[in-house]
Amino acid sequence: MSFTLRGRIESRLAAALAPLLAALGLALAITEWWPLALAGTMIAVGLVFEVVLDRRIDYQPGWASLPLAALELAAIMGVVYALDISAPLTVALAFFAGSWLLGLVLMHGVFPYMRLSYGEDGGELGRAGAVVAVLVLVSLALFAGVALAMQPPTVHLAAGIHEGPLILDRAQNLVGEPGAVVRGGIVVTADNVTIRNVTVIGGENGIEVDDAHNVTLDRVRISGAKLDGIHVRRSSVAIRNCLIHSPAGDYAQGIDISFGFDLAPSIVEDCTVVGGREGIVTHFANAHVEDNRVSGTTLRGLTLTEMSMAMVEGNEVTDALGVGIFCGDYSECEIDDNSVRGIRPDQASGDTTRMGVGILAHYGAKAVLGENEVSDSPGGTRAVLGAEISRPD
Amino acid sequence: MSVTKECAIVGGGLAGLVGYATLRHRGLTPAEIAVFGTDPDPAGQWRVRAAAIRQRRMRSESDGHCAPRSFPGLAVRAALRRKTPVPVVESWLDRYRPTVDEFLEHVEKIRAESGWDESFRRRRVARISAVDGGFELEGLGRFRHVLVATGHPGLAVPRELQRDPRAIHAYEPHDYAENVEIVGAGMAAATEWLNALAAGANVVSVRRREPERRPLNLPRQLFTRRGLATFHRTDVAERQAMLRRWSAPSYPAGRAWDEPVERARRAGRFRVAAELNGSDQVICATGFERGYAQDPLLARLVAEHGLATAGNWIVLEPDSTIGALTDGERTLALAGVAGQWAFPAADTLMGAKYAARGFTRRVEACRSR
Repeated sequence: MSFTLRGRIESRLAAALAPLLAALGLALAITEWWPLALAGTMIAVGLVFEVVLDRRIDYQPGWASLPLAALELAAIMGVVYALDISAPLTVALAFFAGSWLLGLVLMHGVFPYMRLSYGEDGGELGRAGAVVAVLVLVSLALFAGVALAMQPPTVHLAAGIHEGPLILDRAQNLVGEPGAVVRGGIVVTADNVTIRNVTVIGGENGIEVDDAHNVTLDRVRISGAKLDGIHVRRSSVAIRNCLIHSPAGDYAQGIDISFGFDLAPSIVEDCTVVGGREGIVTHFANAHVEDNRVSGTTLRGLTLTEMSMAMVEGNEVTDALGVGIFCGDYSECEIDDNSVRGIRPDQASGDTTRMGVGILAHYGAKAVLGENEVSDSPGGTRAVLGAEISRPD
Repeated sequence: MSVTKECAIVGGGLAGLVGYATLRHRGLTPAEIAVFGTDPDPAGQWRVRAAAIRQRRMRSESDGHCAPRSFPGLAVRAALRRKTPVPVVESWLDRYRPTVDEFLEHVEKIRAESGWDESFRRRRVARISAVDGGFELEGLGRFRHVLVATGHPGLAVPRELQRDPRAIHAYEPHDYAENVEIVGAGMAAATEWLNALAAGANVVSVRRREPERRPLNLPRQLFTRRGLATFHRTDVAERQAMLRRWSAPSYPAGRAWDEPVERARRAGRFRVAAELNGSDQVICATGFERGYAQDPLLARLVAEHGLATAGNWIVLEPDSTIGALTDGERTLALAGVAGQWAFPAADTLMGAKYAARGFTRRVEACRSR
């Protein structure tokens, strides 16, 4: 079809109306902004594509919609990542595919059926098209305005030492300038808090999150905490790109996420944890532990226990004493694509289940093991005390 | 005399049928429309011409149909009828060409569904005169709105061949002699090269310029507002130059056209020449007479009403109406080849729809309705 620019824009926006309403419905249902942010991104990228294409393509054959959709999807994904829109990938892809298919049906069937001169008018929809286009744009602007108004304020932490503990009891984004250090820990007790680019030294716990939802800890560096580097209770968090040095001590742990089984899953991703009794531990929690590096722990590298449900993927556990990855106490763990190396026997404990076990399923736990690499760990992979190890279907 | 009828369509061919179906779709009854023509079969003339050149597939695509709505096009209809998505996929790839049989079946369906025969009158219109609030069709009554769709004024045969007994026009029924010269380089000529070669003839393509290769009669953007907006902004001289340029012969690219010709060329059975050289048979694939002056009805209309013209064309408004004879109460519009001033591809089905929609909009907006 040979679209006019107005035709491209009207057709695009008219086709976007239903997905936008669907996104609105989903956003209201789950009380999150990402469906609208995703729909807005799709519409904005789509409009940019239309303007760019209009200058380059006089005639757009039907088949071109396929490669153009692939390009558009790539651009949308780029923007989604750049803006850190927290849309689940499969949902986002399904949303895009559904919107694209709907657009095809509308532009190749419904619009030409409803408007006699649709093709001849280059995709223009007349007065109705203008009204719908304005409606969609105004709705988007409205949603964006409301979203912006509801965004938590951003607090910039200047370079230098800040004495803690800092108590964050309101929604906010705490963003550290290069060289920003908090001494004495940070405590988060409010929902919708983001801490980014902050170094924490000392404190009882490095960062403590209590009874808070939608908390993001991004690029935080923690060292010298007496107990946990990151201590999460009754909360759902996303921890990404962190670096934690735990001191050797009876109670020091890297990351401890506990008692949030009934909450949205927490995510620990791309973190490096060095030292402590346990590197990353969950108790009665729902967690995704992915692509982390844990080393030098004195009890276990990764622990998922007390009826936790966990996906453990792509992690590297090295130089741990006793156990590398532990799935215990009726937990259910999917353990795949991990590398476990150099797990040393804990001779002093006298515990036969701690003799350099790479992956251990313990006390009624169910562990589904995919393709993991366990090497230089004399205890290998074991299931004890009624625990089960199985392979994925 | 008072105005007796709402609409008249002068011309009972495919453009007339498209105009009629569009008016009916927008709610006019058969009693409100009179169609004047010489053959009640709207595909009558077209059928003979297509058969003469042994045309099996349309040059047009899925949208080249007579129904008022663009959707469903012929590809979707074929997919539903044949219970296969292949036609739709072909259309998606710009590879779908409906067969002539499918097209003719579609025309029959539109004819039956629209009530065409209720409105058709076997009468030739010799004169259209503007009168107060409408138009007088000589001897046939007064009409508020008239769509003239008289089609091509006649077959074009080069003057030097008009009395040559060897010569026949491609659109007249014919067989092939052993040695055939085919004059012309458009779609009909290309079809005739293949026909004659398939019949075992030796073929000389007589042409003075190389044909353009394009899928449709015109670049695709000229079928929509995208190309038309620029076209409508041109001045008289520029627009004439454009129309002349676009009237150059063309036929689609593709192996189906090239391979038989190339094989015959290698076998010494096909060659190109600039002049005739005395073959047994000369087929004139030279299309149609051009210009309003070749159509007695239009020539008279122009002369009696002092209408603006430019070269071969009657000057039209962008919606195919004649501005001097169209106002809030009456409409005179041209469909088919005579409407090229408004729509360069006016002699296609898309062109017929363009004129029909413009005409219908005027009828709907008429103050007296």
